[in-house]
Amino acid sequence: MLSIKNLHASVEGKEILKGINLEVKAGEVHAIMGPNGSGKSTLSQVLAGNEAYEVTGGEITLNGKNLLEQETEERAREGIFLAFQYPVEIPGVSNLQFLRTAVNAMRTHRGEPEINAAEFMKLAKEVSKQVDLDPAFLKRGVNEGFSGGEKKRNEIMQALLLQPKLAILDETDSGLDIDALKVVSDGVNALRSEDRAILMVTHYQRLLNHIVPDHVHVLAGGRIIKSGGRELALELEERGYGWLGIRDEDTANETGQ
Amino acid sequence: MKPAPTLSSAFLKPGGQSLPAPLLALREERGTGLVDMPLPTRKTENWKYSSKYLKLADEMATSLSNEGKPGPSLPAPGYKVVFLNGVMMPEASDYPDLDDIRIRSFRDLSDDEAKTLASRLDSTLDTDAVQMARLNSARFEDGLLIQLKPEARLDQPLFIVHEVTADASGSAFPRIFVEAARHSQITLVEEYISSGSEPVMVNTVTEFDLADGASITSVRLNTEGDSVQHIGATGVRQQRDSRFESHTVGFGGPLRRHDLQVRLEGEGAECKLNGVVVTQDKQHYDNHTCIEHVAAHCNSEETYRNIAADTSHAVFNGRIHIHQDAQKSNADMNNKNLLLSNGAEIDTKPELEIYADDVKCAHGATIGQLDETSLFYLVSRGIGRREANVLLTMAFINELVEEIPVDAVKETVQVQLNQFFEHTFQEA
Repeated sequence: MLSIKNLHASVEGKEILKGINLEVKAGEVHAIMGPNGSGKSTLSQVLAGNEAYEVTGGEITLNGKNLLEQETEERAREGIFLAFQYPVEIPGVSNLQFLRTAVNAMRTHRGEPEINAAEFMKLAKEVSKQVDLDPAFLKRGVNEGFSGGEKKRNEIMQALLLQPKLAILDETDSGLDIDALKVVSDGVNALRSEDRAILMVTHYQRLLNHIVPDHVHVLAGGRIIKSGGRELALELEERGYGWLGIRDEDTANETGQ
Repeated sequence: MKPAPTLSSAFLKPGGQSLPAPLLALREERGTGLVDMPLPTRKTENWKYSSKYLKLADEMATSLSNEGKPGPSLPAPGYKVVFLNGVMMPEASDYPDLDDIRIRSFRDLSDDEAKTLASRLDSTLDTDAVQMARLNSARFEDGLLIQLKPEARLDQPLFIVHEVTADASGSAFPRIFVEAARHSQITLVEEYISSGSEPVMVNTVTEFDLADGASITSVRLNTEGDSVQHIGATGVRQQRDSRFESHTVGFGGPLRRHDLQVRLEGEGAECKLNGVVVTQDKQHYDNHTCIEHVAAHCNSEETYRNIAADTSHAVFNGRIHIHQDAQKSNADMNNKNLLLSNGAEIDTKPELEIYADDVKCAHGATIGQLDETSLFYLVSRGIGRREANVLLTMAFINELVEEIPVDAVKETVQVQLNQFFEHTFQEA
C-alpha cells in the first residue's frame, strides 16, 4: 500500500530524513520508534504533505500513485490521515462544522452525495461515544479549550469518521493518562482492518502494549537502522536506544518530553 | 505653503423648502457656520488615514432628486420606512400608527414640534469631533423622528432603508432622531443601499436619546455601491440604567466613514458595540468610535473586527474617555484585524483617557493573517484550500455575525460575505 524509497527531506535547509525505505502492506500495523530528533515527526509531516518540509530526494507511493505530486488535501482524499502530535485549536469553527465539511469533502471526492446535517449529527454522536467524548464538545470550537487527552481522542474520532486507508498516528500516546490511553488504543484497534494500514510513530513502547504492531522500526539520525517484530519494541523498552549504537547526541533528549 | 482646503461654497446650497419653518431656520443657521469650513487633511488627527479618500467635487454638491421610485430592498419582516435620497417615501413604507410610538417624517411635524426637535438636533454629537456631520445639519431635506412614550415597546424591528440613486452626481443627507422615553424599547435596522454608478456622497446623522431604563438595539448595514462616498455619524446619549446595543456591519467603498459617539450620562447605563468591516479591491472603511463614561457604575463593551483583502484599507479608532466622577466604570474594548493579502492595510488605534481612579478598563488590538498551521490542519482532513480559507475567515467574525439580533440582516450579511469569499479565495 505505502512504499517509501530512499526518502530525503529537509526543514529550513537542514536535512532531517537521510534515505528512508519502508514498505507497508494493507492490514499491517507498523510502529516507528526512535529518540527525539530522529526524524519521526518529520516523516509524518512529509507523508501528510506539510509544505514546511522539503522533499529533496526519493519517492513515496500510495497504492502505486505518486504521493509527492499531490497536495495535502488530495492525499487526504486518497486516504491518508495524520493524527497530529499537537492538534490545532481553531476557535470560531465548530467541531461539528469542521467534521462535517471534512466528511463531505471525502464523499464528494468519491462521487457520493453529501451527508445532511441531521444524519451527520447522529453519526458524530455515535463516534464520539466510541472515544468517550461528551457529544456537547461537537458544538465547541475545534479543539478549543480541550485537555491534551481530549484533543488526542478527537484525532482518533476523526480517523473513525474519515475511514482512511493509511492512518499515521504521530505520538498519539503522549500526554495521555492510563485511562485515556486505553480509550485511544481501543479506538485505534477499531480502525484495524484488512484494507487499512496503520503507522504509529512513538517514543515509548507503552502504546504497543495496547496496539500490537506487526512490524517495529527504529529511526535514528534520519534513517531506519533496525527493523523487527514486536519483540524489538520490548527489547528497546528494556535496553534503551543505546545498545543500537545510536550516538550520544541522538539520545541526549531521549527523556526530554 | 498650500492653503488648507475648505468646503466649496457649492455645497452650501439653499433648500429644505418642504421642512417646517423652525427646522428650515436651523438648517440655514448651520449653513452659515460652514462658510470656509476646513476640510480634513492627513494632518487632521481624526482623518489622518482617510482624508485621501475624501473627494468632494462641486458636481456632487447638488441634492439628488427624490422623484424616482425606490428599488427593491432587503426583505424586511418587521416594519419598514423607506427613504430615497434622504426623503421619506410614504408609499413604499409600512409601519404602524400607534399612540405610544410615533414614527414621522420631519416634514409632517407641526411648527411647535419642529421647534422642539430643532432645539435637540445635534445634541448627542460632539460636532468638533465629527466635523462632517455639520454638513448634514446644513443640508438635510427631510428626516425621520421616532418618539417612544414611557414603557412603549415596538413588537418587531423597524427597518429604515436609505436608498441613494447614483444615476447622476450629487449628494443625500439622511437624518434620524430617536427619542426613547423611560423604559421604552425598540430594535432598529438602518440599511444603506444604492443604485447607479455616478459619484455621489451620502452624509448621514442618526441620533439616539435614551431616557432612564430605555433600551435600543441598533443595526447598521452598509452595502452601498462603488461610486458612493459615505460619511455617517451616530450620536447616543444614555441616562440612568439605559442600554444601547449596536451592530455595525459594513462593506467597503471608495470612502466609508462611520463615527459612533456614546455618552453614558446616567449611573448604571451600559452599551455594547459590535462592528464588522470587510473590504476588497481598492476599497476603504474607517470606523471611529468614542465612548464617554460620564457617570459612575456604567459598563461598555466594544468588539470590532476588520478583514481587508487585495489592496484595500481599513481603519479602526476606538476612544474611551472615563471622566473624573465615573468611578466603578467597566470598559472593555477589543479590536482584531485580519489581512488577507500583502497589499492590504489596516490601521488601528485604541485611545484611552482615564481620569477616575477606581475603574476597570481593558483594551486589546491585534493585526494578523490566516494561520498556516490551522490551514494545514483543515486541508489534512481533505477540506479544499478555498473552503479552509473561508472557514478560517468566517471563524474570525462568526461570533459577531451570530449576535446580530435580526435574522433577515444576518442572511443578507452572509450573502455579501459569500460574494466576498468568491472574489477573494480562488480554487487552487
